[in-house]
Amino acid sequence: MKPGVWQRLDVIARGLFPAFSVFVLLLINLLPISVPLLSTASPALALMAVFYWSVNRPDLLTAVAAFLLGLLQDLLMGLPLGVSPLVLLLVQTGSASQGRFFHNKPFSVMWWGFALVAIPALLIQWLLSSALIGALLPIKATMISYVLTAVLFPIVAWVLARAQNSLLRYV
Amino acid sequence: MAQHGGPQQRIFSPLRTALHRFAFILLIFTAFGLMLLGKADTVLIERIRAASADLVSPVMNVVSRPAASINELTDKIYNLAHLYEENERLRRENQQLLAWQQAARNLSHENVRLRELAHYTNPPALHLVTARVIADMGGAYAHSVMISAGSRDGVAKGQAVISDEGLVGRVAEAGYQASRVLLITDINSRVPVIVENSRDRAFLSGDNTNRPLLTFLTADAAVAPGDRILTSGHGGAFPPGIPIGVVSSVSENAVRVAPLFRRHQLEYLRVADYGLQGILSEKRIRDSQAPVNTNATQLSPEIPAGVGVVPAVPAEPAPSVQKPPAGELP
Repeated sequence: MKPGVWQRLDVIARGLFPAFSVFVLLLINLLPISVPLLSTASPALALMAVFYWSVNRPDLLTAVAAFLLGLLQDLLMGLPLGVSPLVLLLVQTGSASQGRFFHNKPFSVMWWGFALVAIPALLIQWLLSSALIGALLPIKATMISYVLTAVLFPIVAWVLARAQNSLLRYV
Repeated sequence: MAQHGGPQQRIFSPLRTALHRFAFILLIFTAFGLMLLGKADTVLIERIRAASADLVSPVMNVVSRPAASINELTDKIYNLAHLYEENERLRRENQQLLAWQQAARNLSHENVRLRELAHYTNPPALHLVTARVIADMGGAYAHSVMISAGSRDGVAKGQAVISDEGLVGRVAEAGYQASRVLLITDINSRVPVIVENSRDRAFLSGDNTNRPLLTFLTADAAVAPGDRILTSGHGGAFPPGIPIGVVSSVSENAVRVAPLFRRHQLEYLRVADYGLQGILSEKRIRDSQAPVNTNATQLSPEIPAGVGVVPAVPAEPAPSVQKPPAGELP
């Protein structure tokens, strides 16, 4: 039986969900939240989602998508242009190639994996941003950001896993 | 999904891998190209940034409201817990303020009289636009916020942004309905300032910490912790006399200033249009460039662009006036 137009549209829409979820997390990152700590260093939510999807569904969050989402992040946050696309691209490619390692393993393994991947990712971001701005940025904020990113990963991963189970089971 | 059989798979699989690798390398180069492009700081990038702010501003405008109401709730709970102390503090402050009010009234009368006497010309009037903070680009790399006003409301690049407490930053990019505000704590921010008591001039330079630095202070400047810092109005970028912060620490090599605003509590901001276009307007930057080929204006062509213009050295030195010898006076 040939799938109808609506069915195909449905599959395409579901296929776009991973990229869309990264976009939503980007916007959540932008929310003005009145917690003193979060205004100096925020968790890298987009990085978490890009890692999650590259490990679990690399076919749905491609390198090009990661690149474009990084570009959007730079434009929206006023960061030096080109740094986030590079970082997210490297994370996507690296995680997608190692994705098989995490399959059928407990969640804690993926958590450790992410905590390891986030170190070079944030370091590259810090180094390149510093180089492009022309002054050494305070490393303390990056370290706080790293701790927040590593600690909050299970929450984001849990939400994304729920969405994956309900939306992407047959896609 | 259709299952590909043997020969097809054998031909296309390596091809696809090669294509993927090529795309990856291409994207890496694109990223570095973007870095160069962004470093050149073209008008194009600025327009794209403004457009992207416009793109998400309708969403952020709606979504930031519940966030604001949650913040309000936590504020309320905090206030209830500290009601008694707060009341005591306000009582004391009110007494002091009443005394200040009297002093201010006397001074403002005196000021009016003195201005009449001295034929003082008033500085241009302020035009204020109030906007809500709809996004906080919090993070380790940039200190900026997004506000819900753009060129539609008269906001333009370079204008001063102030909160109830004092200067917050300046407009970095103005979109149609949203703009990005570069906070004074950002590493790219430089504000000409003046120390309130000693009238020493300096620059307030952000360094992505919560305590920006006071730079270009003269060696004999008298700055002590607790001194108030105001905008100086030099360069026409900001109105003079806007409070910025209080000197928090003075050491051998750094004077740090605590800004008056608290970043996580920014909610409504005012954009001040000072009438002057400021040092950042494109027109001024263009105008300040030296002429390229013509020398009809008597301006020296070898001055680097953007520095300003000075008159050229005359081709022939004017004949010096002969001084009559001292002894030949009648």
